[in-house]
Amino acid sequence: MMHVLCIEPDRVLARTYTQALQHAGYTTAYAATAQDAVDAADTKRPDLVVLELQMTGHDGIEFLHEFRSYPEWRDIPVIVNTNLTPAALEPVKPALVELGIGACLYKPYATLQQLVSHVNAQLAN
Amino acid sequence: MVQGESASQLQEVTQLLRSVADQLKLPLTTIARQAELGQLTGDPSQVDLTTVRTHATAAMTLVDCYLLGLQLMRDQATLALEPVSVSSMLAEAAHELDGFAKQYGATIDLRIGGKYEPVMAHRSGLKSAVLSLGYALLEAYPATGKSLTLAVHRTPHGIVTGLYGDYEQLSAAQWRKALELQGRAPQPFSALCNGNGAGIFVAETILRAMETKLRVGRHNNKQGLATTLQPSQQLRFV
Repeated sequence: MMHVLCIEPDRVLARTYTQALQHAGYTTAYAATAQDAVDAADTKRPDLVVLELQMTGHDGIEFLHEFRSYPEWRDIPVIVNTNLTPAALEPVKPALVELGIGACLYKPYATLQQLVSHVNAQLAN
Repeated sequence: MVQGESASQLQEVTQLLRSVADQLKLPLTTIARQAELGQLTGDPSQVDLTTVRTHATAAMTLVDCYLLGLQLMRDQATLALEPVSVSSMLAEAAHELDGFAKQYGATIDLRIGGKYEPVMAHRSGLKSAVLSLGYALLEAYPATGKSLTLAVHRTPHGIVTGLYGDYEQLSAAQWRKALELQGRAPQPFSALCNGNGAGIFVAETILRAMETKLRVGRHNNKQGLATTLQPSQQLRFV
């Protein structure tokens, strides 16, 4: 069974996302902070990461650089699911491309179905 | 001069409105995704109605607190300050925040050690500031099983009312920086909030209208945000 790590600072939303992903047949882990995310990935290597770029006490792009610096996590697909508007994301787009982000969703309008579809598509590749 | 002051006030109000509007996306997204969960799984019982209710309340509270802050700012000259019991106000706020805290795996810890004379404040303004701050801090609380403390204690400068948690790194410099960045950056107070922390700045606006302010404070080995209120002289000598 494929394992998805959901890095989401809002634990109520995280619970909803993990319920939807579990329903789609994935095992899930959840992390609220950068440190929790590293610990969770260390405990069980995820096959895919769903990431909110707006993290408490951490810049999401910096976190991604750090995450990618570990050789065993370098190739894990990452889907960004963020509250940042497409306009606010524009300046960091080159960095996201460089970091190999598979998909970028605008959280307020990204339905659970769309999230699950993107996860399915990334893992099918 | 008056025109200048109005322009700066308008800019402040606009920045705060932008933050509130942006922050409202979070409870609305939570409600929308909850509704969808029932459809996705084909099991309506998956929809957590408590989550829907508490997030709707949080959203409405943020809007109401913003509107009250706006009103207090504009009516500052005629602001009706009155003797308010901080202890009972904090108890009411703690009760109202309790359900939301549970959603985030946290508990509300009410610490009122001793008896305090009433403070001079705008009654609903003070409670709104505490609620607005409480919702914002709970949303951003990184750890489960922890408590958010609502406390009051006395210092030589007055009666200090605050909300405290496990925010060890929180500093006065970060708070000052957050006030500068509010309305200009997506995460002005990233040490404490992953979002824009609109509820914190709304609380600050309300308190400023009452001629006090929020500052970083410490209580019982916990860090947080607090305000110092002056005891009602009128009642002290009766």
